Amino acid sequence: MLKVWILRGIRKGVLTTVFPKAPPTIAEIPERSVPPTVAETSDWLTGASICPTKAIRSDSKMVDLERCIYCRCCAEAGFTFDQAAESRTKSLQAKLNVKSQLDEFTKRQGTIRRSLHVLMIDVGSCNACNHEVLNLANPYYDLTRLGIFFTNSPKHADALIVVGALNKAMTDVLKRTYESVPDPKFVISVGACAASGGIFQKTESFVSPIQDVIPVDVVIPGCPPSPIQILEGLLLVNNRMSKEVMTR
Amino acid sequence: MSLLPKYVEQQQVDEVGGSLQLSSIFKASGRTYTLLSDTETNKTILSGVPARLGEEFGLQLKAAEAVAGSPVNLDAGTRVEGYGVFTFPYGPVSFGVPEAGGFKLITYGERIVKVIPCVNFKKRGIERLLVGWRAEDALFVIERSAGNFSASYSTCFATAVENMLQLDVPSQAKWTRAVAIELERIYNHLYAFSRLAEAASQNVATSQVSALKEMVLRLNARYFGHRFLFGLNRIGGVAYSISREQGRELEKSIRTLTREFSEIVDYFLSSRIFLDRLQDTARLVKRDAQKLGAVGPVARGSDVPWDDRLMCPIEPYDDVYVNIETGVGEDTMARTMVRIQEIQSSTVVIRELLDKMPSDGATLSSQSGPKRKRYDSDDFSLCRIESPSGDLIQVVQLDEQSRVSNLHIRPASLVNWLPFAKSLENNVFTDFQFAFESFGLYYADSDR
Amino acid sequence: MIPPIVLLVAFSGIFVTLAIGIILGPISKKFAYSMGMLGAGLGVLVSLLVLLGVGTVSIDLWQLTLTSSAQLQLSQFNSYFLLVSSLVWVGTCLFSITYDDYPNALSSLILLTILSMLVILVSGDAITFLIGWETMTIASFFMILEGKGSHEGVRHAAYLFLAFGEGSTVFIMLAFSGISSSVGNFDFLGPSSTSAIGPIGSLVFVTALIGFGLKMGIVPFHMSEWLPIAHSSAPSNASALLSATLTLMGVYGFMTVIARFAHIELWWGWLALVVGGISTLLGAMFSSVSEHSKGLPAYSTIENNGLIVVAIGAYLVASYYRITLLADFAMIAALFHAFSHSISKASLFLTNGWISKIKKSFDLNNSEKVSGTGVSSTRLAGLFTVLSLSAAPPLAGFVSEWMVLELLFQSFKFGDLASQIIGTLVGGITALAAGVIIVAMTKVYGFGVLWSVRAGKPKENSQDSLIVGSLVWFLIIIVAVGAAAPAIFLLASNAASQILQTHAFDTFVTGLLGVPAYFVILSGNPFGGFSPTFTAIFLLAFLSIPAIISTYGSPWRVRRTGGWFAGNAQPTSPSELYNSFGYSIPIRIMFRFLFRTKESVVQVGATWRTMILLPEEYVVELEVVDIFKELYDVAAKWALWLSSYLSRKVMPGRLSLYMVYVMAALIFVLIYILFTVG
Repeated sequence: MLKVWILRGIRKGVLTTVFPKAPPTIAEIPERSVPPTVAETSDWLTGASICPTKAIRSDSKMVDLERCIYCRCCAEAGFTFDQAAESRTKSLQAKLNVKSQLDEFTKRQGTIRRSLHVLMIDVGSCNACNHEVLNLANPYYDLTRLGIFFTNSPKHADALIVVGALNKAMTDVLKRTYESVPDPKFVISVGACAASGGIFQKTESFVSPIQDVIPVDVVIPGCPPSPIQILEGLLLVNNRMSKEVMTR
Repeated sequence: MSLLPKYVEQQQVDEVGGSLQLSSIFKASGRTYTLLSDTETNKTILSGVPARLGEEFGLQLKAAEAVAGSPVNLDAGTRVEGYGVFTFPYGPVSFGVPEAGGFKLITYGERIVKVIPCVNFKKRGIERLLVGWRAEDALFVIERSAGNFSASYSTCFATAVENMLQLDVPSQAKWTRAVAIELERIYNHLYAFSRLAEAASQNVATSQVSALKEMVLRLNARYFGHRFLFGLNRIGGVAYSISREQGRELEKSIRTLTREFSEIVDYFLSSRIFLDRLQDTARLVKRDAQKLGAVGPVARGSDVPWDDRLMCPIEPYDDVYVNIETGVGEDTMARTMVRIQEIQSSTVVIRELLDKMPSDGATLSSQSGPKRKRYDSDDFSLCRIESPSGDLIQVVQLDEQSRVSNLHIRPASLVNWLPFAKSLENNVFTDFQFAFESFGLYYADSDR
Repeated sequence: MIPPIVLLVAFSGIFVTLAIGIILGPISKKFAYSMGMLGAGLGVLVSLLVLLGVGTVSIDLWQLTLTSSAQLQLSQFNSYFLLVSSLVWVGTCLFSITYDDYPNALSSLILLTILSMLVILVSGDAITFLIGWETMTIASFFMILEGKGSHEGVRHAAYLFLAFGEGSTVFIMLAFSGISSSVGNFDFLGPSSTSAIGPIGSLVFVTALIGFGLKMGIVPFHMSEWLPIAHSSAPSNASALLSATLTLMGVYGFMTVIARFAHIELWWGWLALVVGGISTLLGAMFSSVSEHSKGLPAYSTIENNGLIVVAIGAYLVASYYRITLLADFAMIAALFHAFSHSISKASLFLTNGWISKIKKSFDLNNSEKVSGTGVSSTRLAGLFTVLSLSAAPPLAGFVSEWMVLELLFQSFKFGDLASQIIGTLVGGITALAAGVIIVAMTKVYGFGVLWSVRAGKPKENSQDSLIVGSLVWFLIIIVAVGAAAPAIFLLASNAASQILQTHAFDTFVTGLLGVPAYFVILSGNPFGGFSPTFTAIFLLAFLSIPAIISTYGSPWRVRRTGGWFAGNAQPTSPSELYNSFGYSIPIRIMFRFLFRTKESVVQVGATWRTMILLPEEYVVELEVVDIFKELYDVAAKWALWLSSYLSRKVMPGRLSLYMVYVMAALIFVLIYILFTVG
């Protein structure tokens, strides 16, 4: 039966994406992962009242990606969504949260390029971000070729991936987990819920964005971000993204 | 006095005169109601039962009553005495259970004596949050309540609201919703199978099946814009349509995918090592499944043939043929076979839906406004959908401005906790992961 | 050179100090134990001097028969055993000075036991030996009665010990009568005796094996070893004495008897190999599933004594085939293992005993917090003890276990196929036991001494530098015996030279492959070799590099966090922690045919209602049994029945019946005399 699998594998070809050697393809960045872009017809006041998560700031005239859940309600207020393949595949949404301490971050990265062990902790998510993070292990993305591995225990981890809107019941757990990770450590928050609470900001159990509880290095917005977008964030930590991209 | 339907946690399936009767108990401000659904009459009726019966549910209802932010141990009153007995925390952060929630295993070594699910780590209080919201805004929250059941949740809510408002929803919208629900069912069952293979260290099966799941997610993204089908539904219709050509492409992709899956399954089910992990582990006998009110593939694996698509069908499920098979053996193997078979039958259903989809209107949302504007305080609308893990019930009440005044969600995973705990008694630690994956329990689902 | 008078004075000094200690024990136990320490120290000195060839001691006491007299003698052979025992006694007495909170009588009893063991070791004739043996049994009986277990359990354990002890005396008497009937006198235990036993040799061998085996704890007599210690919860210093040195007396006696044979049968070696192998395996198995912090080491003693018997069996087979190389190595291996086992086992009992005393519980599943000064030194000493018993290089236990296994590897050199097969099978069993004992040792150390819940108020203990001192004493000896194994080899070969008539040291200790002379121990020529000294040096150097770097190199930050419990808070009670019972569950389930494991889950106190389960109560149980204990219980029942039957029917107290018996006996004697004389 073994030859069946070998033949099947040869017949199926290579599924794995070549990212980051080449930009991601359209299939890897779904249509709804594109954030709103400001157009001349954008009406800030209407947008601010329509947006369910208050991501559109009429005072500072910007779209707070950390809050955006990509629901497209603001289309009614004149915001557009740039679906062109070019921009879809070239926009990096993951953001480094350490602008002022870039040197320290670089020093902490050290030689982590070939081996970054990651633990995913869910503090109250809807399970979509969990699925997307675990999807990184499937043959299409295969994060082990980039030197990233999943672990079971924080004591073996270099980085924590935090998903979900922080729930009261999980605050202590998050703090204990963060403490158990040995130095030097990194924290990556994935999804709008982790970055700001997303659509769950007003629930009775929501505590705060993750940044207020533990120091976060990379913030990846999205609801949920597609696996390539999560991978971009991981590569920022992994030191496999170029420095110019990092300081954008 | 307004009806506050709160708890529909408990249910039981009985065979009454050749047909199946599913009864669920509501408890609301001192009064207890029973919801009876009958396969024979295909009707759902509501009746009152004496409140005294409701007091027996103290234990199970604790989970629903609990406030968000405090974890709850179901069945924590269980006492186990014996030499060397200790509690093993399989806690909120673990790799086998990739969500915020855990278990306490009472054991004296390898043998699991009792399983206590620790739920409510993720309780967001969605039902209380949405009181006072407009239905359109509430839909965003509902579909993000359980990300991998998004289509089921949003369809259920939208249908309930549309029934309450008596909106005319075009058939094409309803049929598109069904296609989305079946796609969701397929990728969830593929995920369950790949996790089972991963637990048995069958790495080839894991990679192959998770690649198939990724293919389905990409199909979702291609035809519905979002990998998890967020943004699919609107109150009154859907936001996407599938044209004839797109339908043919989609159907062909699903068919190829399912055929590949059958080949993989055939091979791995002839592997004695894999079968040995699945057979005879976590047996849930039919009597327990009925008494504890298990739903979904769990119940069907224990020979309780309840499926909402047959028992309480919404359009279009009354027009297409849905093939339900129950498993023989009541163990993990039976539940896995039920899931495998459901993938096949969902493929057939999708083909039929796409073939017979009415392409009446290019418009997908309702043109006419709501017909009814005045509601009695006791009026509520209920919808049941077969989510990939089982029977999902949502009960909605609206006020005069069409805002949500009351919402209750009774998810499938919530009623499956106790059957899970029961099935694991007397098994060993290594059987735990297989039972968990075959039950398809999600904390995001049960801790809404 | 040391004049022989010094040796004589020192030798008598041992007796005098012990006697003073015994007499003054009821007044002050600290004084008694100090006397004991002094006496044991003199014993170490004297035995070392004798072993190094300075001289021997021989004292005639009184006339026994026309041809023999009661003697006390100290030759190289028994001074080796005296050395081992004295080292243990020094440590135990030092430990007892502050550990002992029992009645003062216990100190006298312990010293009396030590004195009687001394008499056993230095006796030159059978009668003195038996006097010492009986005294030892009776003194230990009273010692066990002082235990702190339940009254019922203590008495049961003590009487069982006494019964088995008397049984061993009976068999030893039989063996000695056999020897003396062929040799002609009683003083055959010294070095100068001839060894010609003749046709009843097999009988002598079997009775000696049974008699000394009863004391060593060989299967099927192992119950005499573990039950008194485990069920009576005897005081730790007593348990150390019982397990380490009492069993050593059995080894000494057995080896002495073996040395008396001129002609050896092949099946003797087979019997010893098989019986020793089974004891090793069963001892290891039962040890790994025991939950009693005293019972576990007691079972492990059975395993180690089994190893010694295996080595003796290999010696017998090799002697039969006149493979002198192998026979010499076997004898040295047996002697070495006796040394390393006694030291390590005594240390284990004392370590466990002290920690159990602080926790006030002998249950390994009790993981209450223990802290205090000296606890970390205790943990360090316990670590080395356990490593030695698990045969980790370069400690004492490793060297002796390596020697026994190397011995069995060379069983292909035996003359015929049956011996080779038996040797191979026993080798396999022994290696398996060596693996299983690691489970037991990690269990008793990890759960008994090392781990505990972090939270909670710790149990206090007073600072006890003497206790710590005694444990450090054992630690030093274990490491020294391991690292300086060639030196011990020298002592052992001196001791064995009377039996072997060769000087094994020159054959086996050489230099090899660049390692200088006297540092490599060979197991055959050619077969295998190993240098414990250089292993120790290498390990020390290798491990000290990171230590030096971390101390004097770049300062590494140290950050301490708690344990990881899947996100939950630290457990506060032992019922939330993985415990020792759960650790050894796989062995109980895997070997259920041996342990007769039964698992039961009984639901009490909840019923099914119409829809829902109410809070339930379960009682769970998993029990294992020792099948030999079952057999003994059955035999004990029969024995009791038989004795009550006899007392009712045969000896009921009726004078008329007794008259009939007297008449019958008289008639029988008359007929006998008629037929034999006439």
